[in-house]
Amino acid sequence: MQAEESKLITHHSSLVTGYYGLPVLKRPRWKWEIAVYFWTGGIAAGAYLIAAIADLFGDEHDRATVRLGRLLALPLVVASAALLIKDLGRPEKFYNMLRIFKLKSPMSAGAWGLFVFGGFAGLSGLLEVLAAGDSLRRVRRLVGLLGAPFGLFLGGYTGVLISATAIPLWARNRLLWGPTFIASAFSTGVAAIEALLALTGQGSGEALGKLDRVHRLGLTAEAALLAAGLARLGSSGRPLMRGRWSSLFVPGALGVGLLLPLVLSLLPRRREARPGLTLLQATCVLVGGLIFRTCIVYTGKDSADDPGAYFAMTRRRNGRQQ
Amino acid sequence: MIADTQRPVGFFTDTSLCIGCKACEVACKEWNQLPADGYEFLATSYDNTRALSGTTWRHVAFVEAPGAGAPGAQQSWLMLSDVCKHCEHAGCLQACPTGAIVRTEFNTVYIQQDVCNGCGYCVPACPYGVVDLSPVDHQAHKCTLCYDRQRGGLEPACAKVCPTDSIQFGYLDELQARAQQRLADLRRRGVDAARLYGLDEGAAKDERGQGTLGSIFLLLDEPERYNLPARVELPQNTVLPSSVLTAAVGLLLGIGAAFAFRRK
Repeated sequence: MQAEESKLITHHSSLVTGYYGLPVLKRPRWKWEIAVYFWTGGIAAGAYLIAAIADLFGDEHDRATVRLGRLLALPLVVASAALLIKDLGRPEKFYNMLRIFKLKSPMSAGAWGLFVFGGFAGLSGLLEVLAAGDSLRRVRRLVGLLGAPFGLFLGGYTGVLISATAIPLWARNRLLWGPTFIASAFSTGVAAIEALLALTGQGSGEALGKLDRVHRLGLTAEAALLAAGLARLGSSGRPLMRGRWSSLFVPGALGVGLLLPLVLSLLPRRREARPGLTLLQATCVLVGGLIFRTCIVYTGKDSADDPGAYFAMTRRRNGRQQ
Repeated sequence: MIADTQRPVGFFTDTSLCIGCKACEVACKEWNQLPADGYEFLATSYDNTRALSGTTWRHVAFVEAPGAGAPGAQQSWLMLSDVCKHCEHAGCLQACPTGAIVRTEFNTVYIQQDVCNGCGYCVPACPYGVVDLSPVDHQAHKCTLCYDRQRGGLEPACAKVCPTDSIQFGYLDELQARAQQRLADLRRRGVDAARLYGLDEGAAKDERGQGTLGSIFLLLDEPERYNLPARVELPQNTVLPSSVLTAAVGLLLGIGAAFAFRRK
């Protein structure tokens, strides 16, 4: 009661009083399906890209990496499409997404990107299952290379998608959400491959060592981009750092998802494979990635509820104009 | 009657004439067959609809602030009938992936219900918080500027029913001139707080904003008092720079990964 009252007083004493503190913006209606889709789509894109890169630049030690990356991308891309359709208000009309193509709409470009990438992921996955011999190696490489731009797109567009809205938390870090999402797609993609290598006992010390380097690269980039983004957001980042989701975001996404695996990956290495450590590290990254995306989707709703954050954004713009 | 389909039409909502009767809300709901919102009133006001939504396309805001002095004294009692802005550069229209949201021959922004699949991306893409998914059919809905009535040469239901002409419908250029004249008139009579919303010079010149609005307003206080943002930016301005940077970071990571796989 008292908190309500003091809120009302500050509310009326400020220049920007708002309308009974009611939200200006509408809450994004996306549900858990979209958070999980951001995650599965990122892993699919990351795994596909790592497989393509390992096939082009790696050697015989990386064969298992290439194979698992391709086999992972296919089911994940199918799951992504299913989640995306399930989240629609009218799932039975999903095909209207493919009625037009609009470059300026990340949702339109995303639907097409997922569609095309799905084709490449399907093709390379099928080739891996049906024609894994050396005779078709070149074809598999070519498919991997041609699909790579679409993989890159799928891993990053989701960050652009949330940036191109009016939601303060999403819009005020507009330049860095896309890069953060693509970095996270890389690290979760690598983690998924590492986890499977460790679980199936296929990973040689050599192969895991290489993946570890990619892993460290992705995590470092993601941590740096996220830190810069949170600094950029300032008080607009409150739903993530202070709000009801912060108790999940800070320990989950920042601690378990970034800091812990970074520290683990800096531990002194041995020549031989250590599947236990690899599995632990990979699990941290995957769980952290899911928490990160869940928090980003749901704190968008909290940010929409905060008229003060939005007025600060639109007033600032007003000041710049004059 | 609107015959010339090339000439943009719109609303001029003059809040200095609004008496808060909510006839516009009722007429809108009746004509468009929208469900009621219940009888819970907001704070001490007569507002039971709270905001524009998928089922409320005209919303009368009652801006009440207690004043100093005698108990019950009021600092302000402002009323505004809010509505979709029918932006020149519309965030919802640009965000829509199905092409359900279109610009009509009347220059209004309209959602084709047979096409909309309820993806919901237009909802956070509207900088005014207007469009929303309806709990009835899970598709996006907002003011149609009574597209069906216009096809029949009728003015929108809300403007038709407004008893004080606070809501005026007509050709946009005529409404803009009328709004300017009304502003000058009020200023001359000492109403210094009067201001126009949606057609000030800054907004018209502002290439990165919503452009000139199809729904213009005359306000008697800061726009924020009515829950209107001062100056918005078109969300889609972000798409190009953000995409370029994302692709660049992705390429760098790819090159880094290539080196990682190459190194022995």
